[in-house]
Amino acid sequence: MFAVFRKEKRVNWLEAPGLAVVLVVTQIPFVVTIALSFVNWNIKRPDLDPSFNGLDNYRFLFSDGDFYRVIWNTFIITGVSLVVGLALAFLLALAFNRDFRGVAVARSILVMPYFVMEPVIGIVWKTLILSPTFGLNAALSKLFGVDATSFFDSKHALWTIVILCVWQWTPFLFLILLSGLQSMPEEVLEAAKVDGASRLQQIIYFKLPLLKPYFKVAGMFGLINLLKVFGVIFVTTQGGPGVASANLSYYVYRTGFYDWQVGRAAAISVVMVALTLLLVNIVFRFQGDVTKRS
Amino acid sequence: MRVSRSRRLRPLIGAGLLALAVVYAFPIFYMVLSSFKNERDVAPPRLAFVPTLDNYREVINPDLVQHLTNSIVITLCAVALTALLGVPIAYVIVYGRLRKPTSRYNWYVTTTLLPAVAVIMPLYVIVTKAGLLDSRALMVLLYTATGVPLLVWMCVTYMMDVPVSIIEAARIDGCDRWQAFRYVIFPAVRGGVASALMLVFVVTWNEFLFATAYTFTQAGTLPVFMNRYMTQQGLFWGKMSAAATIAILIPVILGFFAQKSLIKGLLTGAVKE
Repeated sequence: MFAVFRKEKRVNWLEAPGLAVVLVVTQIPFVVTIALSFVNWNIKRPDLDPSFNGLDNYRFLFSDGDFYRVIWNTFIITGVSLVVGLALAFLLALAFNRDFRGVAVARSILVMPYFVMEPVIGIVWKTLILSPTFGLNAALSKLFGVDATSFFDSKHALWTIVILCVWQWTPFLFLILLSGLQSMPEEVLEAAKVDGASRLQQIIYFKLPLLKPYFKVAGMFGLINLLKVFGVIFVTTQGGPGVASANLSYYVYRTGFYDWQVGRAAAISVVMVALTLLLVNIVFRFQGDVTKRS
Repeated sequence: MRVSRSRRLRPLIGAGLLALAVVYAFPIFYMVLSSFKNERDVAPPRLAFVPTLDNYREVINPDLVQHLTNSIVITLCAVALTALLGVPIAYVIVYGRLRKPTSRYNWYVTTTLLPAVAVIMPLYVIVTKAGLLDSRALMVLLYTATGVPLLVWMCVTYMMDVPVSIIEAARIDGCDRWQAFRYVIFPAVRGGVASALMLVFVVTWNEFLFATAYTFTQAGTLPVFMNRYMTQQGLFWGKMSAAATIAILIPVILGFFAQKSLIKGLLTGAVKE
């Protein structure tokens, strides 16, 4: 990129080892995934050899009600968590963008959930907090004299997953938006204050527009990570009841590692990657070239 | 008037926000608290209790120690390999002579976006055939491959921030490529690389999909242990909380101190100013 070393010998070979590892683990297997999606293969039936079956896997998926439900769930989990998470993160960023004693500690505590592994998030919420028999849920319900909600039944499971996703990802979005607020030019806000803009007006007419690029980045990260949520679903609901709380990630796993339908699982992966790329492109077409700098 | 009022309110606002943060992270504190309770005080929850270390005493057994060791060994090896392979890539993208460095950079960024489920089936087949299932070496390889693109993403932006003029000055003073890297570029990006590696560490430590798909007992990491604990001994919440506290300790402490610099590397490249 920079021409400082023009006269030197080439150094491009330095990229080779790392590139090789990335290719071997991510790119080549994905090509295999595409190939497998046209194959009928059950690993646990060694008597039946894998055989080419054209578009049968895709045909099966798109004639299966469960699959549409799973796609719908993926949209809900991703979309709702992202919108709620961004809104919550924005409010928190506004609140925590000030100086007070212990602000660093307060922020660090706030973002802790982001650093907790998904299985632990799932376990803690499912048992200690939300369990309708022995959890905090039970204790509080008893205190207020109401019946404890069972958060993981067919009516609530999907929304409970959404809550856990919001809880896990809001801190990360918060950090991005907070650093946006902190990089905001003081003069603009001072000028607004002098002109008599109210708090709300400052937020709507100055902070929001100036934060736009940060919202884009936060939205991008959130979108990508929420589309691949897996561990939280795996440990709390196993996608159930039925497929009530399964998203595409989890459905790939279940089809591949419980039903051992390799071809069908591959087809779901292909749909999922296509969907990811499509969404990323639709939502962030205007993102432009990330390496272009002033 | 307004000024003095807001000044008087300031400590109150601070205390309020601190309380808000604690409420938000409450499930974590509650879990840690439960880990020091007797089982009968955990469920149903009891406010008054005599703290005990019994849960930890019971839960720190060879099984947990093995998973903890796996987590440490696999994560450290993956982070080291990521640094070894990823930093040169960033260097080549910024200072090398690739024909299209920008599109190569974008390729790495896109790779971090791809969901891991896109490759779990073929990798499972290949890995089973190669006899690598449930081995530490496999997990190190997988995590290096997912760590490298993330590191490249963050590292390139740090290297682009190094002023060209000081590198040119070093060249005029007779530094060769290696010396210019060793004495000029590396010191300038060291902090950034460290925070990028910290993020790789946290992501690797917490990774669950590959771990649960490809490991059982030999190379299982803590996320796998926690999941199994939940299904096998899910009724003992006190012990479960103790195990979970041990599992999240390292990344949470890292995050506590490094959250600010983690964000910087991801942002400098992505937000045009």
